[in-house]
Amino acid sequence: MKENKRKGLAGLLTSDRWSNVTVSVLAIILMLATSSVILLIMGKNPLTAFRSFLQGCGFLPKAKYGGGSGMLSDLFDYLNILAPMLLAAVAFIVAFKTGLFNIGISGQMLLSGFMATILVGYMKELSPWIAKPLVILIGIATGGLLGALIGFLKYKFNIHEVVSTIMVNYIISFTTGFFINTRYVDMLTRSSRICSTASRLTWTKVNIGGVNCNVPLGIVIAIIGAVLVKFIFDKTVFGFELKAVGTSRKCAGYIGVNVGRSIVLSMAFSGIFAGLAGVTYYLGYTNTMVPKTLPGMGYDSIAVALLGNSSPLGAIFASVIVTIFQSGANYMSSSIGVAKEIASLITGILLLFAACGEYMKILGRRKIEKEEDKKIAAMQEARVKGGADK
Amino acid sequence: MTKVFTDGLSFALPLLIMAVGAIYSEKSGVTNLAIEGFQGFGAFIGALAAILVMPYFAKSSQVPIYIAMIFAAVGGGVYACLHALLCINFKANQVISGVVVNILAVALTTFFTSAANTALTGTASNKFILGVSNRYSIPLLSDIPVIGGLFKKMYPFEWIIIGLVVVFWYLMYKTRYGMRLRACGENPQALDAAGGDVVKTRWIAVIISGALSGIGGICFAYSIMANFSPSIYMGYGYLAIAAMIFGNWNIPATVVVCLVFGLAKAGGQQMCIAMKLPGNYTDLFNMLPYVLTMLLLIFFSKRNHPPQASGQPWDQSRR
Repeated sequence: MKENKRKGLAGLLTSDRWSNVTVSVLAIILMLATSSVILLIMGKNPLTAFRSFLQGCGFLPKAKYGGGSGMLSDLFDYLNILAPMLLAAVAFIVAFKTGLFNIGISGQMLLSGFMATILVGYMKELSPWIAKPLVILIGIATGGLLGALIGFLKYKFNIHEVVSTIMVNYIISFTTGFFINTRYVDMLTRSSRICSTASRLTWTKVNIGGVNCNVPLGIVIAIIGAVLVKFIFDKTVFGFELKAVGTSRKCAGYIGVNVGRSIVLSMAFSGIFAGLAGVTYYLGYTNTMVPKTLPGMGYDSIAVALLGNSSPLGAIFASVIVTIFQSGANYMSSSIGVAKEIASLITGILLLFAACGEYMKILGRRKIEKEEDKKIAAMQEARVKGGADK
Repeated sequence: MTKVFTDGLSFALPLLIMAVGAIYSEKSGVTNLAIEGFQGFGAFIGALAAILVMPYFAKSSQVPIYIAMIFAAVGGGVYACLHALLCINFKANQVISGVVVNILAVALTTFFTSAANTALTGTASNKFILGVSNRYSIPLLSDIPVIGGLFKKMYPFEWIIIGLVVVFWYLMYKTRYGMRLRACGENPQALDAAGGDVVKTRWIAVIISGALSGIGGICFAYSIMANFSPSIYMGYGYLAIAAMIFGNWNIPATVVVCLVFGLAKAGGQQMCIAMKLPGNYTDLFNMLPYVLTMLLLIFFSKRNHPPQASGQPWDQSRR
């Protein structure tokens, strides 16, 4: 460790223990710098902008609040959207560790949200104690089955999962859009009718300390899920097999792992988390579905997973950061007057730098190698000199 | 029936030029999921150029369309440099890079479309209104029964695309550069040993891919959409990738696949109109190309032969 400290940034980038954290932190710093430049060009003060992002999420107090709301209600709204984001990121990580790209998280979210809405959300007389677990179960079942289907197509018919998930995304988007438009549409809002409060995974208008808060159940599920995935990958045979398949499919086959089964199970497992993300998004954060719209969160979660270095615990920190920009965008937009689309731009820039992570590590290694070369050259020179003196 | 052919062709050809772009990139060994982003960004630059030059031309003038096409190609090509830089020089994971480039393209174009609209007109709309290109019929060929529909009411860009596809087919299969490009995707070490420059070949291929995708994007903007808005990210780029895989990374086969997609889509829509179904049902028919892709992939994926080195960063020290 002492060795590394002396070498500064390059050492941190290459050390086994710290390199992943350093890369993520560096990506965030670069993102903040780049978006500050963009904001400066637009004539806005980046510090005010970043502060209003934080204010929008309830981390810092706003100048004034409407009746019945406060900093705590903003914070709970933030947690409400953090939950599906974290679940979706975990979904991506599970597949990614097995060497698969689940680009279909959006579609899996959409379908499980849709199934839960029509099966449970529209049954008015269910008690919340039955409805809520049922929603979660439907989310798990729908997402899991859909994921397993993708895995099966990959294993049996050699269809690349990226292509099949994208096709399935559009198929789901059009089909659910069709059914919402023909059967479940609310004529006023043009989206689906709202689901019952009993089935919603968020308790709305809970009075905490005098302010109304929307308390999400999803965040508990999400954190348990992230820890569970970490446990499975670190401590169980199943997790080890998945990682082995992800590292080298051939090698895993030689040591006796059933590769086909692992691919199907991993996609199913990933789908389960995507399904949970779907129900916490559509029956928690919102209570209605816009027809023919895939949730952008399915793609943003890839950013979160990348930034968290595809580890479940890293994803918790990464989702906390990425969600600040998504959730605080509205307040930022209204308070300093920058279009709220800048939030997705910032996420995109962050993604870009996170994707360069490997290159940062290479640069660090190269720098250290150069220094060592210099040292060796200096030593040789000294030896040559010493020889000449004799 | 003729409408099936005219609509089908006007959908199939922009799809085809994007698929050819994707083939160029993949044949050189760079996996390209970024087609969707390239086409959107290219179309954005093209549409911006068209909006800027439009006041200098007569209202019905077709010249801005060609200017837009040139700028779309340039814009797509320049934007593709990002993917090339990440994949070739920075050795990033190519699938991830593709996804990143797509997300960034959506964010950039949405943000800058409203920014440009605010600057130009004062309203924060997220659309550039472009209008639809004129259509022309070919005098003699369009009189042939049944298949004459293929030559009726064609957009001029369809001819440009056909020309480009022929040129790029020739470049890939009949020239020295094309030979090198294909070698680069199968066995870059061999190309390196033979004195070729892998990095340069791949860069050119990815830029070509971006330029062709940009042209595809602006053609969609000028025909189906009649404007540029974030709805250009309809997934046509991904459909082009599916067409490429289904066409087995081979330009002539991909031409056939794209035609099938186009005719399936237009046929579905006409069927919907013929059966007098309400407007909501068009969604089900819009789904048709995607379902068709899935089914066809199930039957044909086993025999696929993707370029061997596709997806692997170039490492000179490897064997």
